[in-house]
Amino acid sequence: MRMASQSNGALREAVHEIHDYIQENLYLNRPDMTVNGKKYNSALLLCLISGLRKGKTLIIGEPGLGKTTSAEYVCSLLYRFPLGTIWGSEVAGHPEQTEEKIIGRPDLGKLNLGEEVVVWSHFAMLPVKIVDEINRLPETKQSMILDGVDRGNWEYLNDAIINKEYCLFATANYQDRGTNTIIAPLVDRFDLMVESKHPGANLAYLIGMRGAGGAVLRHEELEAEFHRVLSQRTSYEARMEAVESLCDRFGEILKNEANITTLSRAQREIIRAEMDNIPFDLDANAFLRMVLCELSFCHRFGQKRSNETCEEGCHFTGYTCNGIRNCISNRFPISARNMAQGLAWFVGDKEVGIEHLKAILPYTLAHRIQWKDEVIAQHEKEPRSDPLPIYMAKQCVKVMHRRYMEQGGQIKNALAVACRVAEGESLEPIKGDHPIFWEIRKDLGEEVLEQ
Amino acid sequence: MRNPFKEFGCLSVEKKELPLERIVRAREEVMGQMIHGYLKLVEEEVKDLVWLVEHSRVVKAYSAAVKSIRDLQYDVDDIEEFCGELDSSNKIPYMISGPAGIYVSALINHAKEDRIVLRLRDYQRTFHFLGYRLPEGKTLILQGDVGDFVGAGLSGGRLVVEGSVGNWCGAGMMKGEIQITENSGQNTGEWMRGGEIHVEGRIRSVGKTLFGGRIFQRGKLVMPQDLELDI
Repeated sequence: MRMASQSNGALREAVHEIHDYIQENLYLNRPDMTVNGKKYNSALLLCLISGLRKGKTLIIGEPGLGKTTSAEYVCSLLYRFPLGTIWGSEVAGHPEQTEEKIIGRPDLGKLNLGEEVVVWSHFAMLPVKIVDEINRLPETKQSMILDGVDRGNWEYLNDAIINKEYCLFATANYQDRGTNTIIAPLVDRFDLMVESKHPGANLAYLIGMRGAGGAVLRHEELEAEFHRVLSQRTSYEARMEAVESLCDRFGEILKNEANITTLSRAQREIIRAEMDNIPFDLDANAFLRMVLCELSFCHRFGQKRSNETCEEGCHFTGYTCNGIRNCISNRFPISARNMAQGLAWFVGDKEVGIEHLKAILPYTLAHRIQWKDEVIAQHEKEPRSDPLPIYMAKQCVKVMHRRYMEQGGQIKNALAVACRVAEGESLEPIKGDHPIFWEIRKDLGEEVLEQ
Repeated sequence: MRNPFKEFGCLSVEKKELPLERIVRAREEVMGQMIHGYLKLVEEEVKDLVWLVEHSRVVKAYSAAVKSIRDLQYDVDDIEEFCGELDSSNKIPYMISGPAGIYVSALINHAKEDRIVLRLRDYQRTFHFLGYRLPEGKTLILQGDVGDFVGAGLSGGRLVVEGSVGNWCGAGMMKGEIQITENSGQNTGEWMRGGEIHVEGRIRSVGKTLFGGRIFQRGKLVMPQDLELDI
């Protein structure tokens, strides 16, 4: 099941080198997830995959546990930017933050001459975007970055730029007096939520002895050059071409001086194309449908809605739909597909299977599921090593996977029958207890509303 | 509309069936035929939802019942389930006791099993005419009280009632044996031509006209009395 192509292998090898370099030298932490029998640190692995997939990641954790720095290291090595340039483009979340600091501002000199020219922020222009402490942004100001976060589309005055390639990392501390709630539409735009955990006393001791890492990723001369190019008054596209050549120079410096392999834009494109071509096997396909079903199904009202509550004694009480308040969005299957393909590529598998999905799903669901209070009350005191949302998402995926193991054959059979029915064959759709069987019948045009 | 199941088109459709599902379906089929046969009998034989017990009507109803079950494959469990349906199901819109009992008797008489036990204790309704024309070689055990005309026209079979019977028990029976562990009602053994009726409890009255056969109460011959005197 391993990919045979040598070029694919070389690129994967390069990504593994980046991962291992960060793990060994920059971001010391314990492994907390297992894929194909190998242990990884979830924050590092998922940030890496998300960076490659042009993903959006929310990194949560206590202050000072490496949320921002892990993102900076990943961005620096995947996209070949010196740390100083990345720092210069970061947006800090605080109540006084303005659109002019985040996105762009008018060129005052030109404005005096009657010309309306936008000076774009480095944050808006660069393909690596880090928003530090996003939950310190007031809710009204979070709305300002919705479109940019979602599509890479940044607008100011009558001008706009669209990022062809970008990834976004946002960090969030746990709730305290200075934090705000991240608004639901913004939360949903994150592909993943992961915690940057405390590394444990012994690794923390090593971090203390070593001091702040990352000196190798600094290059003041190049950083100044980046700043100069980004501040030019040429077109956005021209500046990005110049930036790319600077990135390549930084990549060469890293290779020559520190023996670190990094990726060019073309290589990243090849990797993404390879990831996009990794198919889902039928089990992963059916399992993801089942998960989507449990997170959106309501027999009584047609679908989950956050303003409607479950009926007492509903037949589907045992399923996930009964424990949640909201309906899962259409961004979730996109995130799950992208990240599962990324993980399958990273570990060298040629198909996305259930194991990849099982590993990815908790992190794509943790921030998207709104649990009912009584369900939270049941779980919050249970022994665990993850923050509650990720722990509950892991438990939820485990339960859904168990159900799939019991009913997977029948579900696949039902989907196969449905395919034939949809193509015009006269067959009776397969019935079963799981909501997916009801959803299939709905898609085949049957009226299956509760009487 | 786009076929959202396209990726599963490569899977061969497995018609997986649990053995239990097959059994249940077969049973449901049999039950459906039984109910259909009974309703047809009621439709043909019962006018205005009134059914009078006349010899010719009983014979005609029995013939019609036998005809309707001729090709039916069933066993004693099906008969018991049918009794349950007669007792409480809404699949049978009206239960007319006489034809129902005759129909059940036809089922019993043509069943493969020689020994049939029906647990009637739990039923709300009273069944009449059970054991009608029970043929030689068959034993029918009825657990619980039963209604009138039980064992009527008995034709050589052995009928055991673990409970009490109503009136006209063993009416017109030809041969065979009826055992009643408790009481029997009026006209017990009326027009009987042969065979024996044994009642362990009280006999309210024996039939006025007996053409043959014997009736015992607690082991003691009560009809014909002159025969006892002869002995």
